[in-house]
Amino acid sequence: MNFGSFAPSLAVLFAEETAAPLPPDRWSAMVKHPVGWGVVLAAIALWLLLPRGGAKGRRIGAVVGIVALGCFASQMKLLGTWSSDVVFGILAAVTVVSAVCTVTFRSPVYCAVWFALTLVGSAAIFMLQGAQFLGVATIVVYAGAILVTFLFVLMLAQPRGNAYYDRVSWEALLAAGTGAVMVGILTITVDKLELPATAVSSSGAPITAVQRDQNVLANEHVAHLGAELFGRHLIAVEVAGTLLLIALVGATAIVSAVRQSPTAGPSAAAGEEANL
Amino acid sequence: MNEVALLHNSLLVGAALFSIGLVGFLCRRNMIVMFLSAEMMLQGVSVSLVAWGRWHNDWGGQVLVIFILAVAACEAALALALVLMLFQRRGDLDIAAWDDLRESNLPRYIDHELPEVKEPEHHWPHLTPAGAEPKQDEEEITHRSHM
Repeated sequence: MNFGSFAPSLAVLFAEETAAPLPPDRWSAMVKHPVGWGVVLAAIALWLLLPRGGAKGRRIGAVVGIVALGCFASQMKLLGTWSSDVVFGILAAVTVVSAVCTVTFRSPVYCAVWFALTLVGSAAIFMLQGAQFLGVATIVVYAGAILVTFLFVLMLAQPRGNAYYDRVSWEALLAAGTGAVMVGILTITVDKLELPATAVSSSGAPITAVQRDQNVLANEHVAHLGAELFGRHLIAVEVAGTLLLIALVGATAIVSAVRQSPTAGPSAAAGEEANL
Repeated sequence: MNEVALLHNSLLVGAALFSIGLVGFLCRRNMIVMFLSAEMMLQGVSVSLVAWGRWHNDWGGQVLVIFILAVAACEAALALALVLMLFQRRGDLDIAAWDDLRESNLPRYIDHELPEVKEPEHHWPHLTPAGAEPKQDEEEITHRSHM
């Protein structure tokens, strides 16, 4: 458990952010920055929310988490119109909150359902960015197919009630700290990206709104996407198809190997335990 | 819409999704929840990729997300087959059941005993009887049509 190396490196990052002199003002630079508070609060909130045996404190964790979310949300930039701000804010909040619920709920079935909400939220963000096909594909393929397969396996394998391994976690504090530091570093990095006001194409000319409307935001969205996918990325499509085939064969092989193997089954599990 | 701000905000959401997935993968013990967390990390990357694709007026980001979807489907098929196999071997979705795969110089993981969680008792409401008691057909009560 070496928090000693985490904290100074983060402090250096914050110090550079606020252009303060390094050694004396490390900590004050961190304190002045809302993301610094966000990191600490997010770590505490995640730790309180994660399953830790019978420990209490989930409500406090939820409140602290909302404050931490606010700290990070203060780094958001305004999109221009108030309606788009409100819509994006709601979508981002739904996505992130349901993601936290996915990770922290005890019952894996609830985790899967919250993950479905995360997927719907991120699909809506895709739509907001003009990626209509991906938004629909995420809902249909991810939430519709992959997640339902997860639920099938859960129904097959989950014991009745909350299993004890769902009520404890590995090193909840360290994991929460790692995640909070990660999100802090990524936020600061995104802030420090020196993006020009308008993107520049490879030829050096700035990309205008009209150009976007004719390309990524065109009305013939799927036609453009398909042309790109089956034109420039044709070989990759073939490879992806092969990958799907191999995964199919592999999954079948794994499952049928279990069926045929005489060592499988609960009695064999007992035998393996005895051998250990 | 302000393109810089849209990119910036989407990157923040992507970063948050990735980090939350990381936390879940690191600390949850149920194999299926760990796997959900890994999928969440992929989703965070996808949000960032779509945002960059729009910023650069390029389809590459969206095409890459389509491939991520394909790979995630493969991954789900294989991993769920593996999880089912592991479950049949040990009768448990707990990843700690497989700690004999650890490095040979590490100690065995010992679980702390946790008190059993009791199922909450249901208190059904007692309704006050009203009116005359209806006559019940004994055969109809014991008959189970779906059997």
